Amino acid sequence: MADVVLNLVGKLYAGNIRAVSDVSFAVPDGGFCVLVGPSGCGKSTLLRMIAGLETVTDGEISIAGRVVNRIEPMHRDIAMVFQNYALYPHMSVYDNMAYGLRNRKTPEAEIAARVAEAARILELEPYLKRRPKQLSGGQRQRVAMGRAIVRKPQVFLFDEPLSNLDAKLRGQMRVEIKTLQRQLGVTSVYVTHDQLEAMTLADMLVVMNRGRIEQIGEPLYLYENPATIFVAEFIGAPPMNMIGLDPAVGIPAGLSGAESLPVPPTGAMLGIRPEHLHLDRGDGERGSRLRLELKIDAIEAVGAETYFYGHLGSTGPRLVVREAGRGVVPTDGARAFLADRAHIHLFDKASGRRIEM
Amino acid sequence: MVENRPFAAIFSHVVLIIGVVIIAFPVYLAFVASSTDATTISNGQLSLIPDRHLIENYAKVLFEGTDRSTKQPMIVPLMNSFIMAMIIAIGKIFISLLSAFAIVYFRFPFRNTAFWVIFLTLMLPVEVRIYPTYKIVADLHMLDTYAGLTIPLIASATATLLFRQFFLTVPDELIEASKIDGAGPWKFFIDSLLPLSMTSIAAMFVIQFIYGWNQYLWPLLITTRDDMQTIVIGIQKMLTVTDALTEWQLAMATTILAMLPPVIVVIAMQRLFVRGLTETEK
Repeated sequence: MADVVLNLVGKLYAGNIRAVSDVSFAVPDGGFCVLVGPSGCGKSTLLRMIAGLETVTDGEISIAGRVVNRIEPMHRDIAMVFQNYALYPHMSVYDNMAYGLRNRKTPEAEIAARVAEAARILELEPYLKRRPKQLSGGQRQRVAMGRAIVRKPQVFLFDEPLSNLDAKLRGQMRVEIKTLQRQLGVTSVYVTHDQLEAMTLADMLVVMNRGRIEQIGEPLYLYENPATIFVAEFIGAPPMNMIGLDPAVGIPAGLSGAESLPVPPTGAMLGIRPEHLHLDRGDGERGSRLRLELKIDAIEAVGAETYFYGHLGSTGPRLVVREAGRGVVPTDGARAFLADRAHIHLFDKASGRRIEM
Repeated sequence: MVENRPFAAIFSHVVLIIGVVIIAFPVYLAFVASSTDATTISNGQLSLIPDRHLIENYAKVLFEGTDRSTKQPMIVPLMNSFIMAMIIAIGKIFISLLSAFAIVYFRFPFRNTAFWVIFLTLMLPVEVRIYPTYKIVADLHMLDTYAGLTIPLIASATATLLFRQFFLTVPDELIEASKIDGAGPWKFFIDSLLPLSMTSIAAMFVIQFIYGWNQYLWPLLITTRDDMQTIVIGIQKMLTVTDALTEWQLAMATTILAMLPPVIVVIAMQRLFVRGLTETEK
């Protein structure tokens, strides 16, 4: 039973620089929590506070029911995987994994058994005698993971562990990390700026921006119900289309069916995901659906789907449409797309918050 | 900048060969001189081929000493020099490693002040502070001891600065990983920092060993007893003879002997250098 609970955690650096403020969330035992956000949003600082590498200036962090604010990293029973792996360059792979155990006075026989097991799981057996620099990036990443596994800690902390790998390897390692975490059932906190990584790994997604939490929830819930404009634009690729609605100006050209939307006097942002826009083939009822007329600039057919890039009503905001299959539309033509009411999002322009409809 | 031009190749070789000859010829001449007898040298009939008195001269210098000037076996000052150079080199490395470790990895009041004070001593070499240093060493009754010979020379800003620069290049994540792996500062120092600094330590050892070996002024002041003399002073004393001829063949043999330990250190450590340079860590 090792949950990680953060209660109103904050970090104030010397010189009154606020990195994190009022962060509260709880990762249940065995949960996989991903902190995601743009660089400088405080997610790494938060992770380092959980690890004990940064002091906590406000609030409380507890691991397995014990407040750890003033406890040294080594006594927190955590293991961390670093972005640059942080392997000891002068030690063999075996010693890298065994080092933490030796410092804890684990019997040598047990160390050997644990390292052997980790090496088997991570397929590192042929490399145990090598130095880190004789390994490829993916192998080094595995050693860093192995170093975490052998300790059998209560919590795994990952600080952007895949950002130094190439795209293909990243995808592969992502699956491995997920499988491994399920297999071991260790509570994990994972930091990344890559929303795809965040979506695929997390049981629980924490979106951060400017040192604050924007939204917490299951990845798909966040995808479908973004609480703020920031979350809506950050989660999902290509990002959600955003159309400004200003009551003073009126409905933008090319958009129809939006008259009845509850737009506040300060204005709103209308958000529609690219896959929720569908070509208006002129058949069937339009019903209560929104109709958007786009002047198409470019089409990308990637096989399984086709992307249309265009501007709303020719001069409006730039929109992206993802249509399954292969749509045939001449470039720079004008086309109409329909969006279901159930799939549109409305946000208050002033506060950035979601407006429930 | 690797170009394949025959003229440039020949030219650079010629320059290099001239350089080597200029440096190596006096050494060779000393070697030849150390293998002849007194008569040949004083007649100025030195040939360019080593003579037959080689072993005889060296054995005499090492175990008997000169006939006229110092009359001591040179094995004693050789040992003294070796001990002094070793203590200075190892002591400097030890103290510099610790002080650089403190300055780089610990936050304490006046940390920067400490750093600048160390830095300032660069401007105060032994020669500048020689009188106060002598006074202190004399008051502490350390004249004619290895302690008096070495301790004032051990404090070193250069080595501290070098190790500081090296420590600053060690990635922070390595320290953090050590912390999480349960290594305290001391364990981090022993297990990670020290093995990583091996090549810088080797470089420092070579430089400081030669520095210690070549000390002249300080041993001259601090030692009065013959059995505490260093080899550099031994050579100097050999040359000053009243009312007789300097035994140049013995002086030259001593010179060659005095040159050997630094050369051996350089050659031995060079391997470590090269290994450290070719297999770049990190």
